[in-house]
Amino acid sequence: MRLAFEDVSYSYVDPSSRTRKKRRGKKDEKKADWGNAPDALWALRHVSFTVEPGEFLGIAGHTGSGKSTLIQHMNGLVHPTEGRVLADGEDLADKRVAHQVRQSVGLVFQYPENQLFANTVFDDVAFGPRNMKLPEDEVERRVRHGLELVGLDVDKLGERSPFDLSGGQQRRVAFAGVLAMEPSVLVLDEPVAGLDPLSRADFLQLIADLHAGGLTVVMVSHSMEDLAALSDRILVLSEGEVFALGTPAEVFADAPALKAIGLGAPAPQAFASLLREAGFALPRALYSEAALADDLAAQLGGVPASEGAGDAVLVDIVEAEGEGDVPSTDALEADHG
Amino acid sequence: MGDRAIIGQYWPEESLVHAMDPRVKFLLSIVLMVAVFCAATPLALAVAALFIVGFYAAARIPLLRAVGAIGPLLILVVFTALLNVLFVQGGEIYFQWGIICISEKGLQSAVFIGCRLFLLLLGMSLLTLTTTTLDITAAFERLLMPLAKLGVPAHELGMILGIALRFLPQFMTELGIIYRAQISRGAHFNVNPFKGGVQTLTALMIPLFTSAFRHAETLSLAMEARCYHGGNGRTRLAPLRMTWRDAVGTGALALMLVAVIATNFIVL
Repeated sequence: MRLAFEDVSYSYVDPSSRTRKKRRGKKDEKKADWGNAPDALWALRHVSFTVEPGEFLGIAGHTGSGKSTLIQHMNGLVHPTEGRVLADGEDLADKRVAHQVRQSVGLVFQYPENQLFANTVFDDVAFGPRNMKLPEDEVERRVRHGLELVGLDVDKLGERSPFDLSGGQQRRVAFAGVLAMEPSVLVLDEPVAGLDPLSRADFLQLIADLHAGGLTVVMVSHSMEDLAALSDRILVLSEGEVFALGTPAEVFADAPALKAIGLGAPAPQAFASLLREAGFALPRALYSEAALADDLAAQLGGVPASEGAGDAVLVDIVEAEGEGDVPSTDALEADHG
Repeated sequence: MGDRAIIGQYWPEESLVHAMDPRVKFLLSIVLMVAVFCAATPLALAVAALFIVGFYAAARIPLLRAVGAIGPLLILVVFTALLNVLFVQGGEIYFQWGIICISEKGLQSAVFIGCRLFLLLLGMSLLTLTTTTLDITAAFERLLMPLAKLGVPAHELGMILGIALRFLPQFMTELGIIYRAQISRGAHFNVNPFKGGVQTLTALMIPLFTSAFRHAETLSLAMEARCYHGGNGRTRLAPLRMTWRDAVGTGALALMLVAVIATNFIVL
């Protein structure tokens, strides 16, 4: 499914009521609204892009840049104040279209385990398929398949209460609940927030596998490393507007500009650009940790540790987070000695 | 969700009424309620209305906004008025159909009761509009203090009230998120609650309850970590103090009460 955003703007306040207010008198405009009215009238402004079938689109942006609002447009939960969102050419503003699209665009919210509610894992995962009014044997097949995809066994866990599971497993169950609807587009809002390094890597691997299996994936993340490793394209939002859209190499080429809007380049990339300033010749456009290590080793007269490191990017992330500190402490001690 | 004005939500402003001691405001709003109930004739009610409008002016809160904020409760007013139309009988009969009978007295009392209830709501929301929840709880706790000697857990009640008020908007937000998440999973919430709608409601309520328990656990931990051990010996950062404003407010309310009762005796 192709999701096209055409000049989408979104405001929390209905602009028609705003103009009415203006007509009534200027006095209202100066006054603070009920509560703390935000100065920014637009959560999204003139956003245009397309989610191509089969791609992995990463979405980055600082807190409050409109990421969550943006992805809620993708299955018609939120409708643009101006502009249109089209799913395969059909306007999502139409209620029936939105209802159809919700079956093929699976939206996984942040901390999805907070939305578990059923007595058993099976029933919770079956909630989506049952809402689709599928026959019960098809529901069962989908539940089985959904749980399988996230690496859980329906025979072992199916009858247990989802609230008895560990946090990581709960998130998998919630994930399976969306996958059981067999969407063609998977939209993820910070899927690995709050997970420990190991389950985090597992989860990212799971997402990469789902994408490899043909699913279109849209992922919002604060981790530039994850986005660089997984995404085909990255959309950077800043204050509700599209700041950049392109391949990770293109987007992360200008680290200072990203820093200006409260984001950073992935750590290896940032390190590479510092090394470049210090006089190293580092030709690649985008550096993963392994690639940087290889190029540096070559320049320092060593032998590249691994050839074809590009496939093992995810493993690198785990290693970087799991034991990143260890070598540096060793180095320090060696210095003191 | 969230951008709608909540009934009686605090309206930040610097005014005479805002600066009053919350304890005094608390008590005076009870007096205000009594005054409105004392009004037995339309003229007395008009006097009460005049005073309430005056109080709003003193609080510098636009009256239309306040009326808008109590909007959802106006259904109550309309409902009560309707009941009065149907059940109070007497005087000239304008319309009769079966057991439904609309009479002169019925209409009169409907309008009167409706206005009275409306004024009551307006007067009561003046307290919450001009007082932060923190101050309301403090006042509530302080006013319950005498009862503490009788074994009423005044401090705990105040704390419970404060926490409940604090978490209302939080749960509103969370409910919104859960609602959207379940909609994303194909749930319909606009179905008949008597035909399988209960199932979809649990999809909202269970996550909300679990989140409430989670918040309660974290909060109690956080409170303990800050050495919270109940009200004994606890002092306030900003002690409540009465000022000349409170005298003015009390005077105004006394005047209102007297004026309303006095006009009750004027027969048109």
